[in-house]
Amino acid sequence: MRNKTDRLRALNAPHRVAVELDANGQPSGMRDAGCEMRRVEALGEVWRIDEEWWRVPIVRRYREVIVEGGGRMVLFEDLMTGEWFAQKPT
Amino acid sequence: MTGNPPRLTSDGAACCWIPLFPLRCETARQPELASLPVALVGPDDTRRVWQVSPLARHAGVKPGMTVSQAIGLCPALKLCEPDPVHYDAQFSRLLAALGQVSPVIEPAELGRAYVGTDGLEGIYGGPEKIVEGIKCGMRNAECGIEAGSSLAHSAFRVGWGRGKFVSWVAATRARPGEAVIVRPGDERRFLSAQPLAALPLDADTHRRLRQLGIRTLGALAALPEEAVVSQFGRAGRRLWRLAAGRITEPVVGRVAPEPIVAALTFFSPVAGRELLELALDHLIARALKDPRRSGWRVQVIRARAELEQGASWLAEATLKDPSVERERLLAPLKTQLERSPPAGAVERLVVEFTAFAAGTTELQLFARDAQAAARAGRRRALRTAAQEIKLRLKRSLLYHIIEVQPWSRLPERRYALIDFDT
Repeated sequence: MRNKTDRLRALNAPHRVAVELDANGQPSGMRDAGCEMRRVEALGEVWRIDEEWWRVPIVRRYREVIVEGGGRMVLFEDLMTGEWFAQKPT
Repeated sequence: MTGNPPRLTSDGAACCWIPLFPLRCETARQPELASLPVALVGPDDTRRVWQVSPLARHAGVKPGMTVSQAIGLCPALKLCEPDPVHYDAQFSRLLAALGQVSPVIEPAELGRAYVGTDGLEGIYGGPEKIVEGIKCGMRNAECGIEAGSSLAHSAFRVGWGRGKFVSWVAATRARPGEAVIVRPGDERRFLSAQPLAALPLDADTHRRLRQLGIRTLGALAALPEEAVVSQFGRAGRRLWRLAAGRITEPVVGRVAPEPIVAALTFFSPVAGRELLELALDHLIARALKDPRRSGWRVQVIRARAELEQGASWLAEATLKDPSVERERLLAPLKTQLERSPPAGAVERLVVEFTAFAAGTTELQLFARDAQAAARAGRRRALRTAAQEIKLRLKRSLLYHIIEVQPWSRLPERRYALIDFDT
């Protein structure tokens, strides 16, 4: 018998993506698993969060991007591991 | 007045059935029709044929045909305008006569009613005697339906069995004026040989079952219940259980309703639809104000009109969600008024509330009917849909979105999905 919290599924969970960086260290392309690389056409806002430094620190640098075709999304770099993730913009 | 009204129920049932009841009412009024091919036009759609006499059927006329098609097939066809108020009055007489036999009477449709038979053994004896008692009770009432008929030639059929479904199927197997009795314990054997059409099926389900090679209730009952459910959902489960004789739907007696009536007699006959709508709205408002209505929501509303030259018009609506809101009560009557307006000018218009559902405390205190009923209706519909999905797919694919930490800076922590529990 599952309890209630087992049945919770996070909404808008981040998923890992591969990101190409340009000479300035800004994303110039991104690829979802199993998909082709998409060019980043424009960079938007940049922000950083530092959370839960007292536990397991969560340090992320977010970048809002417009990918080719006009899709708007949010990429973030996990500064603890160096991995990149994508999320839907909120 | 917040509790459910008391109900009389009976597992033992006798189904009393007069096929083509409205048509028989007409031939009782006009005996000369008995020797002619006759068709009644529809009360909802006067361009189509509703009921067809055996002579007309023999000429190829079928219910649902357009009037022009029917006349093309049978030029001698005698078409009759329907008189729903008359049929209703005759059926009420029939119900009153059955009420002399048993206190538990449930009308199903014009010409078909169930009689609760539990406890009648002490008065009449065995099933044959009970059926005989029903037939005797019918004799007088039937005079208005079958002029000059004797019971031996009557169209009245009786089916006796446990539960409404068995008794109904038994009635459909009875010859005119006779009865078929299914004794307790014989239900499954009796049902297994009956054709699939005995079930309350829609055309699509009927077609699908036939494509699966199922022709009888026995063949359907031989399938695993879960297999039928996975194909046909909740309705499939009910069909399977009916076919297998696993459901005994009791006869539920009518709690003698005290209809609330509001009437209006026009100074001069009115034919304009807008004026009639206005009058209906006014009558509904007046009937809603009746103090007897307090604490009850209206479930069945009926409008009837007396027309010039003695004709009549009747519209009735049963609300899925009982209401005390004027617009919601008026809407189905307006629709019927548009679809099938009275055939002549109206001299007198009557609105009746004939069945009620208990109102909730909230509705009585705050009279928030419209919103509360709409919310409750949406929730109910959603719950039903979710149950149906779960039943078919074995898991729920519907979720609620709940707030977890809406203040969190991490987007994935703000909201979550949770199974839609039913």
